Amino acid sequence: MLEEPRIGVFICHCGGNISDTIDVARVKEIIGSLGHVKLAETFEYMCSNPGQEMIKKAIDEHKLNRVVVASCSPRMHLDTFRQAVKSAGLNSYLLDMINIREHCSWVHDDKEKATSKAIALIRGAVERAKFLEPLTPKSLKVTESVLVIGGGIAGIYSALELADKGYQVYLVERNPSIGGHMAQLSKTFPTFDCSACILTPKMVSVSQHPNIKIFTNAEPVAVKGSPGNYQVDIRIRPRYVNLEKCTACGECARKCPVKKPSKFEENLGQEKAIYIPFKQAIPNCYVIDKDYCLFLTRGICRICERFCKGEAIDFTQQEQVVSLDVGAIIACTGYSLIDSKLFGQYNYGYHPDIVTNLQFERLMLQGLHKPSNGEVPKKIAFILCVGSRSTATNACEYCCKIGCMNAIKHALLLDKSVPGAEPWIFYTDIRAHGKGYEEFYAKAREHHTTFIRGRVAEVVPKGNSLVVKAEDTVLGKQIEEPFDLVVLSPALVPNISTKELAEMLGIDLGPDSFFLEVHHKLRGVETKREGIFIAGCAQGPKDIRETTMESMATASKVATFLGRGKISVSPEVAFLVPDKCNLCGVCIEQCPTKAIKKGKKEVTIDPISCVGCGICVPVCPKEAIDLKHSTEAQLIAQIEGVSREGDTSPKIIAFIERMTAYGSADLGGQSRRSYTSQVRLVGVPSTGRLGIKHLLHAFASGADGVIFVEGDDSLFKEDQLRERIIQLKKDLGKFGIQSLRIQSITTTIPQFEKIMSLFDAFVERISKLGPIPREKREELEKYLKGEQIATQHAT
Amino acid sequence: MQPNTQLEKTNQKVETTPAEPLVQQKDRWAFVHEVEKLPGGENILDCLQCGLCAGTCPTRFAMDYSPIQIIKMIHLGMREEVLSSSTIWVCSSCYSCYSRCPRAVDITTLMMSLRNLAMKEKIPVKKEIKPKFHKTFYEIVRKYGRLHEPELLMKILKKSDLPNLYNNVKFGWSLLRKGRLKLRPTKIGNHAELLAILEKTAKEEAQ
Repeated sequence: MLEEPRIGVFICHCGGNISDTIDVARVKEIIGSLGHVKLAETFEYMCSNPGQEMIKKAIDEHKLNRVVVASCSPRMHLDTFRQAVKSAGLNSYLLDMINIREHCSWVHDDKEKATSKAIALIRGAVERAKFLEPLTPKSLKVTESVLVIGGGIAGIYSALELADKGYQVYLVERNPSIGGHMAQLSKTFPTFDCSACILTPKMVSVSQHPNIKIFTNAEPVAVKGSPGNYQVDIRIRPRYVNLEKCTACGECARKCPVKKPSKFEENLGQEKAIYIPFKQAIPNCYVIDKDYCLFLTRGICRICERFCKGEAIDFTQQEQVVSLDVGAIIACTGYSLIDSKLFGQYNYGYHPDIVTNLQFERLMLQGLHKPSNGEVPKKIAFILCVGSRSTATNACEYCCKIGCMNAIKHALLLDKSVPGAEPWIFYTDIRAHGKGYEEFYAKAREHHTTFIRGRVAEVVPKGNSLVVKAEDTVLGKQIEEPFDLVVLSPALVPNISTKELAEMLGIDLGPDSFFLEVHHKLRGVETKREGIFIAGCAQGPKDIRETTMESMATASKVATFLGRGKISVSPEVAFLVPDKCNLCGVCIEQCPTKAIKKGKKEVTIDPISCVGCGICVPVCPKEAIDLKHSTEAQLIAQIEGVSREGDTSPKIIAFIERMTAYGSADLGGQSRRSYTSQVRLVGVPSTGRLGIKHLLHAFASGADGVIFVEGDDSLFKEDQLRERIIQLKKDLGKFGIQSLRIQSITTTIPQFEKIMSLFDAFVERISKLGPIPREKREELEKYLKGEQIATQHAT
Repeated sequence: MQPNTQLEKTNQKVETTPAEPLVQQKDRWAFVHEVEKLPGGENILDCLQCGLCAGTCPTRFAMDYSPIQIIKMIHLGMREEVLSSSTIWVCSSCYSCYSRCPRAVDITTLMMSLRNLAMKEKIPVKKEIKPKFHKTFYEIVRKYGRLHEPELLMKILKKSDLPNLYNNVKFGWSLLRKGRLKLRPTKIGNHAELLAILEKTAKEEAQ
């Protein structure tokens, strides 16, 4: 405690909304008699100008240094009262607001009981107010540069957008050239734009933009720092060709004796060990594949070096690590196709004429031919949903979103390029959801594409052809049809490194293993970690149009984030109590935002990354962590204040997470969903803030049951909560308290009915169990006192 | 002003006879829930009607309804049609459909369960179906512990089958020569154990 607390309590009538159900005069009288309370006042509308003036005047006149406002939800007017307190010269964190409207007067009918509950709630706030400390929000300058991970169309687009806005952009690509999958495509649906013709000008703009620096053959290896100020280490693998000197004349590749399958051609063509991924590659520079180069594998050859006129070949190149300072990061690492060999019935990999749709793109650009004998295929089967929309292991439950339109595009392209071609599309459902897509589908039907509704059972090579076996579910007939070429549409899966990158960045993956956004609809390109954004297929399958649009949205979000120049950080963060930490590191595993770091001699908590959830506090075996504005002292004082007051039985304390769950309870109040007044709500940053000590304090000082209400989207995940509750039940057992006295629930904002009915049911259950006997409470109190003395001793 | 003839036309009442509903609303989901409790019917509502099962089925030609149609009929509560279909009897239990089904619907086991249900309820089967085959098959397996094809053939053979049998003589001969077909039945090692198993399952089934 900094000084002798002088508390002023201001109780609002809310024009009858509160005073009709709660006897405010009695509340004023009882609260006014509490220790350290210098003033208790009631007023018609506390939030109105005269109400605020009243608070300011009282602070001045009575030299108040703590203020408690008992009124509506802090979600509504916390800022109003903080401003009022601030303008009276008091730190705004010395104010506490307690909700006696949504959580009391609106949900109870019995005046007597509602008043008693209101007194208990306010008493809790008063007790807590004694321990409040002044806090100041931190403000940090942000680094005005962006790291874009992945040089596909998503990366290119967001990089250009941000560079045009004036930010320094670093574009990191794992492959030797930027461009991604889009560079491999022939035409795009539904407009038949030549993919390379629309992509390569953008690639050139990226390479020439003064604000963009490209790192190819590179990937991030470590991410440090906090939102607005990240330090990222980029590992650059050697190309063995000097970027500045290479003129891409191609003499080296003509002389190189080693051939290897081309990755760009999806293994349907060959290239030399020194190669350029494709003609329009950016950077336009050759690269040596160290797995194939004779000099790098066996120490002989070096022919390329001899023939290079520009002396660009440099076998002395070493791997290097570059450290970049960036304010924000965009992860757009794209997709891969699922391995079609996983689905044996299609015989992919056993016959050269069974190809994936990406391979078919390359075949189209090479001049359509059968890989087996080079003949022009006439009758081609397109098999959709290979590994998509399936609950089998190794397969994907989601839709690949591009397979249908892609197959239709191929069918229409065939109609143009191969006279007399016969495309057959075997589909489960045709999904033509975008602008112009349905018309595109209709066009394919007009151009004599055969559509068979039925998932293909198997593809069997027979003689010179491939027999596709399927049921035409429209006819109700099995068909076996010979084809020259079979094209599979495999599911899209996130790139292999996605998981690794997510761990490095400290962001979540969804159940489909793609990056998870914060909100499906409202915050689609942001991740749970501030300053880290996502775009493109790394977030989920999508087509080019959607990808470019999303990239621009991401760029806009990044610009908003960096454009403020600095970020204000809430002071409600975890901090270390000096000299207690023994470096065990339990807290590090628990932190959802990776704010806690372990050094050689100390553990540090980054106040910028910390979101103040408090999950780390109760797990610390040494009680070495505490949380600002929800300190142990404040929380325990509030718990004791709330549970000591009044003689109703049973008394239930519901700890309620301050964002979603609290909002849900507020909505219940607004809907006047009445419930038992025996439940008293205590707001906490997250229920992860609570440990066994808090429960013991609650039970010792009068509570008979405890409920944890957590938000569904909280950082404290449902399974973590369940685990914590199981542990707490075990621990309570050691003190002889039945495990039935504790209960948890997760909720979304509209699901208030769920919470309220749990409250009613829980009170019924605890009534059956009966109150905790007085001896037990005394025993607990004694234990807690002993504990307190022990810890004081230790420090 | 000219009267709006089109409007008048649409306003005319047209006498139509209501079509018979495909689904009896009364027990719309009763059959689905019944099937869900049977072995193999657990994921029946996961089916997305892709038709892979029907495409893959080797005995599809002999079925009156394809497997996908059977599942759709279960969804629609068409109990009688399902239980009296030939499909459930023609299924050769090769498990191709189940192994390839993208939604893990265990169609093969479901067909067995539906056969059992049809037998239990004594639902008349179509005349081209031979429950006798299944019964004889079971009896022979019970007797020796394994199948003895010649005996099965002798027991279920009808006059009308003779030309078909004649066509397969060559195939039978090659099987015989390679030792894949034995003229005399052989018993499995521990026959008593098998009998105990069969008895126990029969008892549990009855319960």
